[in-house]
Amino acid sequence: MTEVKLDRIGKSYGSVEAVQQFDLTIREGEFLVLLGPSGCGKSTTLRMIAGLESITKGDLMIGGTRMNDVDPKDRGVAMVFQNYALYPHKTVFDNMAMALKLQKVPAAEIQDRVGRTAELLGLTDYLHRKPAALSGGQRQRVAIGRAIVRTPDVFLFDEPLSNLDAKLRVKMRMELQELHDRLGATSVYVTHDQVEAMTLADRIVIMNGGVVAQVGTPREVYDRPADEFVAGFIGSPAMNFLDLMRDDTGRWITECGSLVLPSLPVDAGARRQVRLGVRPEHIAVTAGGQPQGDLDYQAEVLLDELLGADALLSLGVGKARLLARVGGTDHPVQGDRVAIALTAAQLHVFDADTGVALRD
Amino acid sequence: MTKRPRFGLYALVILSVVISFLPIIWLVLTSLKTTEGIYAWPPQYLPDPFTLKNYINIFTNSPELLLYVLNSFIVALGCTVVALSFGGMAGYALSRLGMRRAGVLMVFILAVSMFPPVSLLPSLFQTFLNLGLLNTYTGLIIAHTGLFLPFTVWMLASYFATLPPEIEEAARMDGMGFFRIFWSIVIPLSWPGFVATGLIVFIFSWNEFPLALVLMTQNAMRTAPVGISLYPGEYAFPWETISTATVIAIVPILIITAIFQKQIVGGLTAGAGK
Repeated sequence: MTEVKLDRIGKSYGSVEAVQQFDLTIREGEFLVLLGPSGCGKSTTLRMIAGLESITKGDLMIGGTRMNDVDPKDRGVAMVFQNYALYPHKTVFDNMAMALKLQKVPAAEIQDRVGRTAELLGLTDYLHRKPAALSGGQRQRVAIGRAIVRTPDVFLFDEPLSNLDAKLRVKMRMELQELHDRLGATSVYVTHDQVEAMTLADRIVIMNGGVVAQVGTPREVYDRPADEFVAGFIGSPAMNFLDLMRDDTGRWITECGSLVLPSLPVDAGARRQVRLGVRPEHIAVTAGGQPQGDLDYQAEVLLDELLGADALLSLGVGKARLLARVGGTDHPVQGDRVAIALTAAQLHVFDADTGVALRD
Repeated sequence: MTKRPRFGLYALVILSVVISFLPIIWLVLTSLKTTEGIYAWPPQYLPDPFTLKNYINIFTNSPELLLYVLNSFIVALGCTVVALSFGGMAGYALSRLGMRRAGVLMVFILAVSMFPPVSLLPSLFQTFLNLGLLNTYTGLIIAHTGLFLPFTVWMLASYFATLPPEIEEAARMDGMGFFRIFWSIVIPLSWPGFVATGLIVFIFSWNEFPLALVLMTQNAMRTAPVGISLYPGEYAFPWETISTATVIAIVPILIITAIFQKQIVGGLTAGAGK
């Protein structure tokens, strides 16, 4: 169990800065998820911790030792790759045993450790197969086993579930969770899938354009997004955004005038313009009747999409468009007139220029 | 894709196969004719009478042919082994170890191989003479390796580029050094590339003429193409002997190609598509 400290770490390729000033301490036993769109620098950050990518600026400390120039194998880290990266010409056993063999661990101990890991992952029957004879899920389990067998201080995962089909991904996600509970090792996990991030993480680091946009628990990044980017990235379907202007009477109105808010839930200071964020699941929709909310509007259902348990409604409030998530049974359908209600506490307000969330 | 058989395409393929094989077929037919049959007018298409006399004659009258074939084999094999060893290491370093200016170096290697071998002959001959490398297998192996190494580097470098880099990264995390990664991961994964490249180099070396002619001056050290070309006597052109010897010299290549043809196709088209 080891603490990993990234002290203002940066990576540049020539004049391009892939990661800027990454400053974070990963606690002992923490499961940290790096989340962001492709090209945001999350994989580069992980590869810098692994030692596969050199560090341009800053210090990487693992367990109190500076690791910038230490060989990957001596950092006490193990990595699970997206495409498994197994040795195709070696058996499952040899794949898992490789690191131990290179460390000159006695053969009997290798047998024992690989055997126990295989049992943990349900791979005992496959030890003598080559990777090509395994399913995708089994291959990823071997890749995880190869990491576990080394008993590393830190686990690194680079989108380990992206190559699996949806059903298997959910299953492996749960297995990873159980595994982490059991091993309790510090883990850094890179993904672009917010469901993986929300379910697995103790803390999520959301990155955008090489910069950390927010660090927080899944609850925090969902409830209190630091800026417009995080707000739009976390949550599915994505948050609705509306431009609001303040009129002379102090009310806030959408450009087309169809939505009017008597006041904002936060202090907007001297701003005359803000961006309002509303999550689709926070719009209460009632067919016909009058909903009980702070802010009530009349809307028309422009489109309804049934997802199964839920349905998505595209709502037209005057000229403004809002997406709402409602229960999948007896929901309003295309063409219905409905009443919608927003709750002030569930609204997010962002600076119109910087995108930073406004809070009291 | 249409399901309709594409007759035009097939006709084109058959035509090109016939055109490229015609000289070889003609060669084989010639080797099975009598001297009268070869010079007959109008030309004989099929040997009449059919005879194996030429094959018997060549083994009884010119046993040195087997020596030529053996020489060719030793040189070609030696050249292939050396070219693959150095080409493999160079290609790996150039394509995978993140060398600065690797692209420039690759182009430079290619540029070197653009010199016509004939232009190198005088200086090469003098150097080999001084070093005592004339009429030695080592000498011709070195010369051929020099000639075909650029090709080997390019072929293998582009093959290595098709391997997923994560496997090598995983090996680094496991604690392997660069040489060990090359030896126990990259080579086993690239053997179709090695087989295809090696075979092409083998054939190049087997067929190479100018260097083999100049650097091997003793009859006993001649390679097959050179030895066969020197058959023409003072008074006559012994077509039956030349064609028979050529067929014999082609056979080893045909056998090797037949054995490895799957790997050749796999190696040559690697990376061409998913």
